[in-house]
Amino acid sequence: MSAFDKYLHAVIVRAMDEAQDDGSATIDAHHLLLSLAADEGSTAQQVLASAGLDRDTVREALDREFEHSLSVVGVSAATYDLPGPSRAAQQPKLGASARLALDRSFATARKKDLRSTHVLLGILQADIGTVPRALALAGIDQAELTDRVRQLLNGQDQDRDQA
Amino acid sequence: MSDGNNSPPPEPSERSEPSEPADALAAVVALRRLADQLEDSAVEQAMRSGWTWPQVSEALGVTRQAVHKKHAKRLIAAGVKLRRRGDERV
Repeated sequence: MSAFDKYLHAVIVRAMDEAQDDGSATIDAHHLLLSLAADEGSTAQQVLASAGLDRDTVREALDREFEHSLSVVGVSAATYDLPGPSRAAQQPKLGASARLALDRSFATARKKDLRSTHVLLGILQADIGTVPRALALAGIDQAELTDRVRQLLNGQDQDRDQA
Repeated sequence: MSDGNNSPPPEPSERSEPSEPADALAAVVALRRLADQLEDSAVEQAMRSGWTWPQVSEALGVTRQAVHKKHAKRLIAAGVKLRRRGDERV
């Protein structure tokens, strides 16, 4: 198992935990983003932090997106006061949006060159869906953030080529 | 010949109406998530208060197998005492 394989495994395990907390049967792209933001010390986490995004601010942005999307059709989750259900016993499976994000990540580099920033780039490359909507509501310039990740990756490539 | 002043201008769209496909599609995603959460919570509440699988499945309009498959493991793991077939309600 390479260092990246171990890193990716840890990312997915944390994302699975986030999905279970959400009561979601699938691990979605936004669960991967929460997982990256929570991974102290990784380059992806540092890039997110530099844009003001830690795990809790990502969570807040996602909650806002949820409320906002419901409000479009006149629904409020706040009026629903049943107690929270018990956690799912079954492990959530990788959903379509997370698969797409990972496929995009893997397409950006050779396998042995993959880093945490490639995973972040794969998530940020989505133009449509929960993640872009949540970032927009949080006032994040997604295009600018994506460019920053790309520049960082180019820098890493140059470092490697010189090494 | 109409001079174009006879027809009223289009009404501004209602605020609550999804104006763009992106908003409408995101609303679908959010409603599914809300419905899933509500189902998990409501089924658990019903089973904790002694409802049977056939009753819950009838209330939800799905088969007993479907509701059992979706919720049994979670409720057993949560320690909910489930009524077996043949248990009579008192």
